[in-house]
Amino acid sequence: MDTLVNVAHGFGVALLPINLLYCFIGVFIGTLVGVLPGIGPISAMSLLLPITLSGTPESGIIMMAGIYYGSMYGGSTTSILVNIPGEAASVVTCIDGHQMAKQGRAGPALGISALGSFIAGTFSLVALMLIAPSLANVAIAFGPAEYFSLMVLGLVVLTFLTQGSMAKALLMACIGIVLGLIGLDSITAQPRLTFGRMELIDGIGLVPVVMGLFGIAEVLINTEQFIKRDVINAKITQLLPNKADWKASAGPISRGTILGFFLGILPGGGAVVASFASYALEKRLSKTPERFGNGAIEGVAGPESANNAAAGGAFIPLMTLGIPPNVVMALLLGAFVIHGLQPGPLLITQNPGLFWGIVASMYIGNVMLLVLNLPLIGMWVQLLKLPYNILFPLIILFTIIGVYCSSNNVFDVYVMIAFGVIGYFMRKLGYEPAPLVLAFVLGPMLENNLRKSLILSQGDLLTFVQRPISAACLVLAVVLLVGPLLPSLRKKRELVALDEGV
Amino acid sequence: MSDQTNVKLRLNNSELWGGLIGLALGIFVIRSGLKLKLGTINDPGSGYVLFYTGMLMCVFAITIIVAAVTEGGPTFASRWEDTRWTKPLLIIACLTAFSFALDQIGFLLSAIPLMLLLLRVIDPVRWTLAIPIAVLTPLGVWWVLKRLLLIQLPSGIFEIG
Repeated sequence: MDTLVNVAHGFGVALLPINLLYCFIGVFIGTLVGVLPGIGPISAMSLLLPITLSGTPESGIIMMAGIYYGSMYGGSTTSILVNIPGEAASVVTCIDGHQMAKQGRAGPALGISALGSFIAGTFSLVALMLIAPSLANVAIAFGPAEYFSLMVLGLVVLTFLTQGSMAKALLMACIGIVLGLIGLDSITAQPRLTFGRMELIDGIGLVPVVMGLFGIAEVLINTEQFIKRDVINAKITQLLPNKADWKASAGPISRGTILGFFLGILPGGGAVVASFASYALEKRLSKTPERFGNGAIEGVAGPESANNAAAGGAFIPLMTLGIPPNVVMALLLGAFVIHGLQPGPLLITQNPGLFWGIVASMYIGNVMLLVLNLPLIGMWVQLLKLPYNILFPLIILFTIIGVYCSSNNVFDVYVMIAFGVIGYFMRKLGYEPAPLVLAFVLGPMLENNLRKSLILSQGDLLTFVQRPISAACLVLAVVLLVGPLLPSLRKKRELVALDEGV
Repeated sequence: MSDQTNVKLRLNNSELWGGLIGLALGIFVIRSGLKLKLGTINDPGSGYVLFYTGMLMCVFAITIIVAAVTEGGPTFASRWEDTRWTKPLLIIACLTAFSFALDQIGFLLSAIPLMLLLLRVIDPVRWTLAIPIAVLTPLGVWWVLKRLLLIQLPSGIFEIG
């Protein structure tokens, strides 16, 4: 009963005209960046982070959340029609989605993708509503040792799932922690690694780091490649899947939704992992696995449902524990902090309007996305024809402006350009930026909780293993760290390891 | 990967250099941690986490170096094989020039040439399209920020903008 009252309260907040407008702007921009290859939700959210300052916390966070789950919808359009993923979670949709489009079935592919996304998005919201308050009650009992171990686990999971060498991913995570510690020590107020520069006293900003590593570096990578776009030009008709399509897709949508939701909750996991896992699962369960790769609708329905369910699930660790499970959620944490709010176990009780307002806005956003992605599909197809040589100078200009506006400081523009160049060379040498960014956000929290636990336990390191939740997280982290040394586990890691790009 | 592009103990092994840079960074972080004071285990100081993170960085960097020496790694040239590597280089040059100019001559006078360069030099867009985009986009953004959002962009020594 309480939940229903809270949901009604949430809809009261979400249906305010200003919040509806911000929700629409969020899902519209989300679809836009999902459709456009070369710019993803991370870049778009960092670009718009400063804008959230002008409104209420509810409006800003509703818009940011809308960009995230909106991009999951939009990403599939580019994958199906152009065979270039609009964002990382739609990589796997290219395989069967584009084949369907080539066979003249672009409509049902786009339709099942949007409808599957809607079903999964709605399910994940219901689960979020039911699970988050209970988990928040449990999380109140968490001490610094549990938080520290949970953050260690999150970082280890992300490095485990990152493509390529695990040593490289771990090195990136360590560099991220160090970068996060630049500035005044929160306990002793001693400046660290500031090199005497006043601009570094408050540390390096999240926005210039993310915009550089993801926005500018992505442009540099894209311009050196010969991008060939194979846009499906035929008129898209019959968007609604037929009876046979629904029959084939019902199982993949249900399985993808549940799998995606739970993978989304895991620290270090997220939409990209979920979509790949769902594709692998459907192929394994199929009686005709040879159809996969040749236009099987199950290969579109499962992953698209999974990535949307994961997008909803990822809100749980952020809202209940205050720990972002992935880079996108780290940016959302930034939006909370800008407004002086601290997500965590007390958020739901202290700011019920905010929590339930965001949840309710996601319902509304999902309906808006269905309208944006089905009847208005033609508009997005036209947008795909925008050449990259016109698009990338605009992306560069908007990233510069976004970074400048976040702090009104030219120094941040220098930082962004520097990180853009570093990010480019990192990618060329096979170092993924995602562990660095997550560690950059978690670094100060990780240090704070480690030092607090050591002070509270009077230097007794056993405190981390004597507390069951902390011990479980550390054991799992050790298993994941040691696992790749075993040939069988290494093989499995290579199968699931992903490129957590934009 | 062929023998030409996958080398072991050679100076053009990119993995080796990646590991060496990581090791150098790790040593620097350890030194910074020591300078900041480690404190004790029951009262860790400002350099405590930095020191141990630096140690971990060295361990991971050495792992990368060992792998590069024993298993080999791609050469620098192979990393840029079949790519238009001059394009990102040009963009980096444009951005560096822009970052120096931004504070000196202001947003409008630096952003318009930057846009024009990016539109014309990388994958040339025809002049009739490049000029309006290069001029109107920074002007439009400047107007929205200054007039609607009341955000002042750098105006430089000429105080334009």
